[in-house]
Amino acid sequence: MALITENTRKEVTEIVYKFFADECEVDLKDLNDSTNIIKDIDGDSLMFLELIEIFKKKYTLDIELKTIGKYAVKHPVQTIGQLIDMQMLIIEHENKLLELDH
Amino acid sequence: MWQKKLAFVFPPFASEYPDDPFSNLEGFDDCFRKYLSRAAEFADPSLNKFSIPSSTFLEDELETQYISYIQACSLVSWFRGKGIIPAYSSGYSMGIYAALFQAEVISFLDGLVLIRQAFKEIRKVVGNKKFGMCSIIGLNKNDIEQLIEKQDLNLAIAIQNSVCSFSVSGPAKDITRLTESALQEGALSARLLNVTVPYHSSFLKDTASTFTEFVSQMQFRHPRMPIVSLIDQEILLEDNTLKVEVVRNLFTPLNWYETQLYLQELGVNRFVECGSGKGIVKNARFIEGEAVSMTANAFSASPETQLGYSA
Repeated sequence: MALITENTRKEVTEIVYKFFADECEVDLKDLNDSTNIIKDIDGDSLMFLELIEIFKKKYTLDIELKTIGKYAVKHPVQTIGQLIDMQMLIIEHENKLLELDH
Repeated sequence: MWQKKLAFVFPPFASEYPDDPFSNLEGFDDCFRKYLSRAAEFADPSLNKFSIPSSTFLEDELETQYISYIQACSLVSWFRGKGIIPAYSSGYSMGIYAALFQAEVISFLDGLVLIRQAFKEIRKVVGNKKFGMCSIIGLNKNDIEQLIEKQDLNLAIAIQNSVCSFSVSGPAKDITRLTESALQEGALSARLLNVTVPYHSSFLKDTASTFTEFVSQMQFRHPRMPIVSLIDQEILLEDNTLKVEVVRNLFTPLNWYETQLYLQELGVNRFVECGSGKGIVKNARFIEGEAVSMTANAFSASPETQLGYSA
């Protein structure tokens, strides 16, 4: 499992915000944790997939896409804040993500 | 100017029209209006009502196909005006007609004729049966095939876009069941597509004989550049093989993933999506290799510079 440091959340937050600002062509200052990814900035599932790939590479994560998908069915992500929370759980628990529900 | 490392990809019909998708292309609107007006006169007067931003025609599959084709042909013309001619042309799904126009195999009006006839043949085969398609992201081919088999669904994978992105065709009720089970299985996304036709699947096999007869009577010229098949990644250089391709495109599964990889092997390092959306550009991030995919709107008044080539 990846080592979570104090900086990890800050790092993840910065990456996620910059990603959506670039991809959705919106100003960084117009984004906040309550921004709805689909309704407010026209995001989509390919963006979610790309972010997962970015973090898989960055933190050398061992996690299957299906595991994330199964977790997301029970814990749907709508806002940027929720997405950051989920990314943190993915980094911390990797393939044991589903065990959080047990 | 022929660009050895450039391929144009013509997308299928639009599922949405982004606001002002060609805003960076100076003079494009005049070009589009010219083609739109010809199409309205020839095929369907209501096409003249089309405007962006709007959701005009999105509920009408034939008119949406016309608009996507007209936009694509207008882009071809705009690029020609700038001296940009790609080395390869490739038509994703119903984008095949614009790919033929790019390669000067058919005229603009013949493209409209083919679209209309294909639609008619499809409607004849589909009749009142309810069909549909869905897209699934996050599962691999084996996962999807197992889901289909396990639930005894009458479905077929119609398009592979990457190792974890697929479109599936079949009866509407089975499509709905598959989307539900795919999410339970761990798909990141499983959604219904806005179509009522099971494109690129054997459900449309019965279009073959009459559409073949129709296409055989049309005049196809030898392509000015190779067209790459999404069915088997063959390079198509003959008018007769292109006629066969147009027919089987309706009922044979496509593989864009393998097609992009093959084009990259041939040396292509720039793909331009010639349509109003950016689905192919977004999908390209999940295909291996260093090639760059861009929308037509990514071009400025100096497209040569954007492409990284010298004139």
